Amino acid sequence: MTQSTEKNQIAVSVEGLSKKFGEAAVLEDINFHVKEGETIVLLGASGSGKTTILRIIAGLEKPDSGRVTLHSKDVTNLPARERGVGVIFQSYALFPKMNVEHNIGYGLRLRGKPKADIKEIVNGLIELTGLEEHRRKSPSQLSGGQQQRVAIARALAYNPEVLLFDEPFGALDAQIRTRLRREIRALLREIKVPSIFITHDQEEALELGDRIAVLNQGRLEQIGTPFDVYNKPATEYVATFLGAANLLLGIINEGKFEAEDIFLQIDTDANVRDGQSVKLVFRPEDVFLRKPENLTQNYQLLTDGFVEEVNFVGAFERVVVRLNISTRQPIIVTRPKTETTAFPLEIGQKVTVGLVRFRILPNYTLASERASRVV
Amino acid sequence: MKFRFGSIFVLAVSLFSMSCLPSAPSGGGKGARTITVYGFSIMKEAMEKDIYPAFAAKWKAEHNGEEVNFVSSFAGSETVTNQILQGAPADIAILSIERDVDRLIAAGHVPKDWYVTPQKGIVNKTPFVIIVRKGNPKGITDFADLGKDGVKLIHPDPVSSGGAQWSLLAIYGSELKKSEAEGGKKDETRALNTLKAIWKNVIATPGSAREARTQFELGQGDALVTYELEALLMQDANAPVDVVIPKSTIFSEHPVAIVDRNVTADERPLVEAFRNFLWSEEAQKAFVKNHFRAVTNESFNDTNAQFAKIEMPFTVEYFGGWEKAYPDVIEKVFRDQVQNK
Amino acid sequence: MSENVRHTRGFDLIKPLSITTLLIVMMPLVLLPLASIFIFGTSSGLASFWRALTAPEAIFALQLSLVTSFWATVFNVFFGLFAAYVLSKYNFWGRNALIVTISLPTAIPTAVAGFALLLLWGPYGILGKFLEPQGIHIMFTAAAIILANIFVTFPLAFGVIKPVFDTMNQSLEEASATMGATRWQTFWHVTLPSLRGAILSGALLTFARSVGEFGSTILVSGNLAGRTQTAPLYIFAKFNEGQVEAANAIAIVLALFSFVIFSVLFFARDWLEAE
Repeated sequence: MTQSTEKNQIAVSVEGLSKKFGEAAVLEDINFHVKEGETIVLLGASGSGKTTILRIIAGLEKPDSGRVTLHSKDVTNLPARERGVGVIFQSYALFPKMNVEHNIGYGLRLRGKPKADIKEIVNGLIELTGLEEHRRKSPSQLSGGQQQRVAIARALAYNPEVLLFDEPFGALDAQIRTRLRREIRALLREIKVPSIFITHDQEEALELGDRIAVLNQGRLEQIGTPFDVYNKPATEYVATFLGAANLLLGIINEGKFEAEDIFLQIDTDANVRDGQSVKLVFRPEDVFLRKPENLTQNYQLLTDGFVEEVNFVGAFERVVVRLNISTRQPIIVTRPKTETTAFPLEIGQKVTVGLVRFRILPNYTLASERASRVV
Repeated sequence: MKFRFGSIFVLAVSLFSMSCLPSAPSGGGKGARTITVYGFSIMKEAMEKDIYPAFAAKWKAEHNGEEVNFVSSFAGSETVTNQILQGAPADIAILSIERDVDRLIAAGHVPKDWYVTPQKGIVNKTPFVIIVRKGNPKGITDFADLGKDGVKLIHPDPVSSGGAQWSLLAIYGSELKKSEAEGGKKDETRALNTLKAIWKNVIATPGSAREARTQFELGQGDALVTYELEALLMQDANAPVDVVIPKSTIFSEHPVAIVDRNVTADERPLVEAFRNFLWSEEAQKAFVKNHFRAVTNESFNDTNAQFAKIEMPFTVEYFGGWEKAYPDVIEKVFRDQVQNK
Repeated sequence: MSENVRHTRGFDLIKPLSITTLLIVMMPLVLLPLASIFIFGTSSGLASFWRALTAPEAIFALQLSLVTSFWATVFNVFFGLFAAYVLSKYNFWGRNALIVTISLPTAIPTAVAGFALLLLWGPYGILGKFLEPQGIHIMFTAAAIILANIFVTFPLAFGVIKPVFDTMNQSLEEASATMGATRWQTFWHVTLPSLRGAILSGALLTFARSVGEFGSTILVSGNLAGRTQTAPLYIFAKFNEGQVEAANAIAIVLALFSFVIFSVLFFARDWLEAE
């Protein structure tokens, strides 16, 4: 089996998952898959259904309809213990009366593996996760990060079909969080086990995931690489969830975005037609400010405006600019140091606003949109 | 590791040793027969020390070395009766008042003709006397003195103790007897007033005659109305007490009945033999030795120098038997007019 | 305020004061009564103490107490474990009523309990009267004592074990399940070890309480010396006979026994919780 075919094999697939709790829909028709060696992040606020999806894949909950497949095996009706999934719980759920070694070897003991084999595998995992000096300790004697590593080692011991992480960094300090994130990422790349993370932290999602699935109130809004999801959000929700976003209402006219005096060329792949009401979505870092006469060709001209606020935020500058349109709408712009030194701004200064990148999204009145639904 | 193994071992051994029921200490060898005796409290010593061994020896000699074991339970007479009524496995019941036997008859445990023997089913008797502290500091000379101010009396509870009921009859009856001897007529008012005055001085009502004695021995109360035998046992033990013999007192008579319901056909001969043995010379003399008075032959009583002479003795027949005594005296006089006033 | 006092006086007054008050209160209520048993028991010399202790009926009574308490404890611990598991895990109509019912026996006077058992299982009892003809005697035997002890100590082990179940992290069970364990394996490897301390406390509590049980035993056992007389019954009987010394000897044994049990509980608890 060549590496490329291996990479493209589907390890986990979720089809048409739906679940209701009373009258409320917890999940609505969720579809996605995880390739071999891939890490998927389910990103969403609380109540978005991400935890439920994880628990359904693990077998801890049953969906009302839909299918879960692990390595081509339909496991929808199998109980958790027969699925061979590895779950890392938010609280890590380490067995308090067992030491680190016993915790890690638990799954193997259950499977009746011979003692020598268990010892070998456990030793390998302890080395992999760097827990050598803690092997005889009990969970209560470990730090949060160490406990997490035990939880991962424990789940890996029996070669799980997939690793499921339930908000694993929630209980940790910010500093440790970033460090551990990178360690886990490196570890996952090394062991090549397909993984699914759930989190509400967009920075975490962007860093960890090979692909990100954004969930909103039980619906899958978009699934794509971090780059795609961030720079080409399919819905307003995705756009605003993954970072700050500026929005401008307008319509499509002769294939161009039009709002008062503003005219912008749009990509041909934008799924809109003439006369449709749309939103212009652009990120603060994609905005370029210049003195009225100095705009270069790399940017599409938006309009004029004047500087209302300038805030120094360390690595960059956050500027509030009032656009020169009837709504006097303010937008947020972030400028890196190179910009601020080259072109310092003062409050009240007139500027020309150019956009490096932007997205056109259909303007539905519903909070949750589907880019695929064209009225 | 060693400590854990050792402690687990100790634990296992102690657990194992606690899992099996202990064997009865009172023998129970192969082929031993058992008689279960339920008796009222003060019968204990007499039965265990002399009667049981004597009968067992006799039976063994007459029946090819067959062993007989006795299992017994002693408590207040009423309590014993209640236990038997609830199904306690008694073969023989020795009670302190005939009324308890009537209760067993009513429930079908004892046949109506239980008393068909020369002694009318009575196995022994003893008169009721008063025990006071050595030196008789409160100057008690007779029942009536117990009603004096400042006298503290221990009296068992008539509800559970047959001895208590005898005591009430003794007090009440002695007043009737005395008034009869003095004025030719039974003065019930005088008797009632005496009873009232005495009951006012009662500070504790334990469940049986034996319990009352124990409380008195531990220092409670100034006086105790009880069986003569209890008084004599206390004197034998050199307790600092004096015995006051009332001028007139009742002789309590103690019935023995076979609890038919619990006795199987092949047990019957043994149980009957035991019951009849209680009237044998050997047993009666043993009772006298234990301070009970014999009922078969008055001359046996002479062998116990400690027995007092009662001037005006009476029995429950004085009231017309227990069928009258209980409702008339215990209920109508005591319960209604003294206790529940 | 007391801090100021501490600084000016140079030592902390509150500590010795509190401890002394504690001891003073405990003296007449607990310490002296216990001491009096020991003092009285050995007052007429160790020889008579030993004699009283080694009387065959006394030894029998102690053994009977230990054995009946043992079996009552075994049953109630297993049942308590089972009941705590079911009532903690599953929700169903009538669940709370069941929990209350399990706790009921402690509120019932022991004499009432004994009497109720007699009325049910006695030879003329509601159910007993059908068993008598079959030759099955329940009352007035050691079995009756065990039954009465089970009733009276019913909620003790349960009451100690259930809170542990309630506060147990559900994720632990789920983790075990995802790792491949059956419900029984999860119970044995994950749940039970966390319950060790509670099971031990429950067992010792039940055992100690059983050994001392009197009110129900005196009714259902028939109080047959050397057959169905437990240690507390023996003490009572000896007291009634006026043999206060013999009663005292056994009382001392029981007191020492309870002392040992609770010391074990105290020290073993730390050992169990530590791991």
